[in-house]
Amino acid sequence: MISEKRFLQAGKHLMMGNEAMSEGAIAAGCTFFGGYPITPSTEVIEHLAKRLPEVGGVCMQMEDELASINAVMGASLVGAKAMTATSGPGLALMAETISMGANLEIPFVFCDVQRNGPGTGYVTEPHHNDIGFARFSGNGEFQIIALAPMNCQELYDLTITAFNFAEKYRCPVFLMSDAYLGHLHEVVDIPTREEILKKIIKRELPANTKGRVFSYKDPSTGEYVIPSPPIMGTEYCPGLFLHQPHGPDGLPTPKPIVFQEMLIEKITSKMDEISLTETYKLDDADIVIVSYGLPVRSSYRAVDIAREEGIKVGIFRLITVWPFPDEKVKVAVKDAKAVIVPELNYTGVIAEQVERVTKLETPVIKIPKVAEFHHPDDILKVIREVAK
Amino acid sequence: MSGVGPMYPNEKPEHPYLSKSYVGDLLGNYSSRFCAGCGYGIIAQIYTRVFEDEQLDPFLHPLVIGIGCYAQIMLLVHSKAQKILTLHGRAPAIATGMKMANPKMKPIIFSGDGDSMGIGGNHFIHLCRRNLDCVELVFNNSIYGMTGGQGAPTTLFGAKSSTTPYKMFENKADAVKIALAAGATYVARTTVAHPRTFMKYFKKALKHKGTSVIEIVTPCVTYFGRKNLDNLGFEGEEGSKMDTGGKMIEWIRRNSVRNNQAKFMTEEELFNKYVIGEFRYEPNKPEYADEYAKIQKIAMEGKK
Ligand SMILES: Cc1ncc(C[n+]2csc(CCOP(=O)(O)OP(=O)(O)O)c2C)c(N)n1
Ligand code: SF4
Repeated sequence: MISEKRFLQAGKHLMMGNEAMSEGAIAAGCTFFGGYPITPSTEVIEHLAKRLPEVGGVCMQMEDELASINAVMGASLVGAKAMTATSGPGLALMAETISMGANLEIPFVFCDVQRNGPGTGYVTEPHHNDIGFARFSGNGEFQIIALAPMNCQELYDLTITAFNFAEKYRCPVFLMSDAYLGHLHEVVDIPTREEILKKIIKRELPANTKGRVFSYKDPSTGEYVIPSPPIMGTEYCPGLFLHQPHGPDGLPTPKPIVFQEMLIEKITSKMDEISLTETYKLDDADIVIVSYGLPVRSSYRAVDIAREEGIKVGIFRLITVWPFPDEKVKVAVKDAKAVIVPELNYTGVIAEQVERVTKLETPVIKIPKVAEFHHPDDILKVIREVAK
Repeated sequence: MSGVGPMYPNEKPEHPYLSKSYVGDLLGNYSSRFCAGCGYGIIAQIYTRVFEDEQLDPFLHPLVIGIGCYAQIMLLVHSKAQKILTLHGRAPAIATGMKMANPKMKPIIFSGDGDSMGIGGNHFIHLCRRNLDCVELVFNNSIYGMTGGQGAPTTLFGAKSSTTPYKMFENKADAVKIALAAGATYVARTTVAHPRTFMKYFKKALKHKGTSVIEIVTPCVTYFGRKNLDNLGFEGEEGSKMDTGGKMIEWIRRNSVRNNQAKFMTEEELFNKYVIGEFRYEPNKPEYADEYAKIQKIAMEGKK
């Protein structure tokens, strides 16, 4: 039974980023939230503490982040759509369980409202310093999916996408928000109930739980077809083998590499579905800006001004940051004489990825910013220099 | 614990995950991987027996297991049982998520002394504080068995372990006192030398609505016994060496004091002793999931 209060009235709402994300989660069917207050993500747990009980869900303030993420794992194991929200220090505590969740292949959604670090840092300032951490957010090797929204509307929409990805690919999915984005107030256009319900992947038992329902590969095509997540407390639960390494046939394997390969391949082989990107004035560009999250918004303005000056510059935007879309980036920067990567961090995590893809043949110019916004002029200055 | 023995032995039913009936198939499908003389075999047996006696629905009683030697008990319960091997110390938090996402469930948590008093102490305290409807069994073998005999927060004063090679000098943690202080509503301690009492307590815990904590003192022959052959034995007695399971169980039995007797004993007399018995039974205290359901009702009706 779907609660009436699950969907906000369709139409325009003025919302804070963290609220938009929470509402996205409720619309996606999230019924369990475990969290622990941390600036700048606190509004998420505050909003959900009020809203989730209204729709028959549960919002728990746990004793710490370790407990939060483990409770989320427990809820997900028994069939609830569950999520948590935190910031860098909380993510650090959760690492062990993220790794465990990837191993159990149960759906998890995290919202990381990133703040400055290392250590306590400037807690209310944004800093995309967890972007690399999210990729390697636990012991062992596994693949996660990370999405980078850039406005409140996307915080709402991409949260629904994140839940769908988690259900479909059975892996931890990250929403990389940040201190500014989380606290931005913007108009969010809420779709109608029918439109939302059409988009959502429900947590359901397979129609037939008899036989080999745990198999991961379509025998005719050899492609990965990931079975829906097991639910503890039903017939559809592999019991003893739940935590044990298994091969694509869904049966335990004594060969670690078989399981390892599957954990990663089941996601990377679906790049065309997972990799979400956008372009802006890219067709004839010989200077390419590759960016994600908030710096994209500053880049739009910089590109518009540069185009007026006759400089051919365009934007390639990553919405899905991880797994990194090598092929798409390769195509986007093929004819570029330079790639500019404005990033809200110092080391340039994504710039390094671009360098890897271009094999250092094209110059990659970083525009690092820490705990402050890129002004369009910062980007424009670099564009003009490159165009000279 | 021995590393030998098959992990997936000859059990090859048609649908390994989807067997039809729940039978506590102790030792039927899997060989035990415990050391000879370990107390966990007794616990596994009582657990499966109670499950059968009470005709518990395995789907409503998921088994949430921490990390330690006792985790191997999961190999001994039938494959239909809903069991999940979790992380070291985090089982109470996972059980909390399960219970709240599906309030019909009553999770049963297995944890060791290192698990619940050391790494997971915080989760243990908050589980008791919430009075969430579940049963937590704390297996106290006074040592870290799985990692090879290091000192635990529960190691007896003066005992030797591989990380306290001279002697243990820290004060020990008492799971019962912590559970009482944190607010668990059914708290008891027993030992594997008193299996019938354990069975009674476990059945009572299953019927109790609220957090039940039962500490079970159990022998680790391989590490605790071997390292403390003489110095914790019964002084002046022949054959005091704790080198077999039987002798260790006998030592545990003699080292235990009933709580009605303990009332009349001084602190010195109780030093390093295990006080056994029931310490609290409050069946009518508000339970967390019930209380949350009330909150949901208020929220749904739109009251503030
Ligand atoms: C985070 C983490 N730290 C350490 C370990 C290693 N470890 C596994 S079992 C264990 C000790 C378990 O002792 P106890 O809970 O007393 O159970 P026993 O083996 O004695 O039954 C430790 C330290 C681990 N698995 N995870
Ligand atoms: S607790 Fe001790 S005796 Fe028991 S299996 Fe572990 S090491 Fe062996």
